[in-house]
Amino acid sequence: MLLIDKLSYQSKLRYINASEKLVYAVLTLVLCILSRSVKVAVLVFTVNGILIVGKGGIPLFRYIKLLTIPLAFLAAGTAAIMINISKMPLDAFAFSVGEWYITGSRNGLYQGWKLCATALAAVTCLYFLSLNTVMTDILGACRKLRLPSLLIELMLLIYRFIFVLFETASSIMISQQSRLGNRDFKTRVRSFGALGTSLFILSLKRSNALYDAMESRCYDGRIQVLSREQPVRVGEVVMIVLYEAVLIAVWFCL
Amino acid sequence: MKREEDWVIEAQNVSYTYDGNTKRALDGLNLRIRRGTKVAFMGGNGSGKSTFFLCLNGIRKPEDGRICIEGEPIEYTRKGLLAVRSKVGIVFQEPDDQLFSASVYEEISFGILNLGVDESTARREVESVIEELEITPFQDRPAHALSGGQKKQVAIADILVMHPEVMILDEPAAALDPKHTKKVQEIIDGLTDKGITVLMATHDIDYAYAWADEIVLMQEGKVIRQGAPAEVCADRTALTEAGLEVPAVLRIYERLREKGLLSGEAVPPRNVDGLVEIL
Repeated sequence: MLLIDKLSYQSKLRYINASEKLVYAVLTLVLCILSRSVKVAVLVFTVNGILIVGKGGIPLFRYIKLLTIPLAFLAAGTAAIMINISKMPLDAFAFSVGEWYITGSRNGLYQGWKLCATALAAVTCLYFLSLNTVMTDILGACRKLRLPSLLIELMLLIYRFIFVLFETASSIMISQQSRLGNRDFKTRVRSFGALGTSLFILSLKRSNALYDAMESRCYDGRIQVLSREQPVRVGEVVMIVLYEAVLIAVWFCL
Repeated sequence: MKREEDWVIEAQNVSYTYDGNTKRALDGLNLRIRRGTKVAFMGGNGSGKSTFFLCLNGIRKPEDGRICIEGEPIEYTRKGLLAVRSKVGIVFQEPDDQLFSASVYEEISFGILNLGVDESTARREVESVIEELEITPFQDRPAHALSGGQKKQVAIADILVMHPEVMILDEPAAALDPKHTKKVQEIIDGLTDKGITVLMATHDIDYAYAWADEIVLMQEGKVIRQGAPAEVCADRTALTEAGLEVPAVLRIYERLREKGLLSGEAVPPRNVDGLVEIL
């Protein structure tokens, strides 16, 4: 997650209007899932790959590594569809284990493959958004799209303080290690507990201090901020519309 | 007849106790500050500096005594507090306690939007303060990728954008490297040029002696001495009581005079450059 954050700040597509990117990613994602079409999925996967690595300048090996993260979930999910255990062998394959068969149907295999392709393509849509859009820009776009402000305020604070929390935790951990806090299993467990406790207390303290600081700037219960926006470019919008149209055409016509 | 003094802050007999503590954090504190002056607050940890600052813009409400901003007692109503907080701004010691947004631009826009200005004015103000404090080179970086000094610059911009009458800086140079300390000091000098009254908590007596119009010594929630740097530093008992040393420049100057190496009616220098000039 921290890696994605870092990469998003380096992306060459960072300064493209965030609403455009958000709409593109969500629309493509929805089309992918609704169509369940392998052709659409392959197209989306390829185009997103080109956009992320080619246009966005995200290193290819990083991107491939990121794509392997959902593979484990995908494998577990599709295995359940492809592989059955029954007393009757099915049409695709069958291994007998005593009286039972580990078996699969052609239809099941096809479903699994379809699911796999769709899910992977859907993941690339989310990666497109998160690798090329800075979190604060996503929040700005959410504001534009009139999402509930409570949700946005929470996301804003969480995003900021995840990093503060990480920093605090790592400095506590270093100071524990420098005092032999991880000498053996027992001390390690105890140190970890102490880390949790002190993080909790520090977080409480910090939130009080933050509240004071916000109050001193006339905070009235609503976090109002201005975000800097990149202009919407007509050319890009046309491209997005065309692309989505092509996806729909592929879904229905091929 | 001298014109009536323009007191921007007046505190009379202010007391405050934190919940659950028996000892008072502020204990009958009296203080007056003139408009446009530079005031250094000095005193050990727990002497009440930060608590007093929080009282000055109504975050903490004194249990006793009263505080007047520009002659008006603070009213602890929504409207009254808004008025006070738009006049008195605090730059907190720990920038991570103050910066709530990962985006520098959003962060700075928060305060001014709360004052109820329209969006285009707010944008103009935010952009001008970004330029003024030289934040432009790192304005597109997230808060967690900024250095301590850069965070401090943003923290000051947070308040400056609201155009306060009084700006409070709680140990602005804490944990900064010399380069950023200098940068922050330049920014602070710029505040004074704008006519903003600057109150600063600091532990650096040499800096306070060179910079301030007035030094306030605090101990155990009281002001034990307030006056021009030369006066306060001449009061060695008060300095010792507050746990402070005599400024190095002053010590060298006095020693030189004792030894007869310096003569005449020269006024004690405020900083090293001044001393060099006399020599």
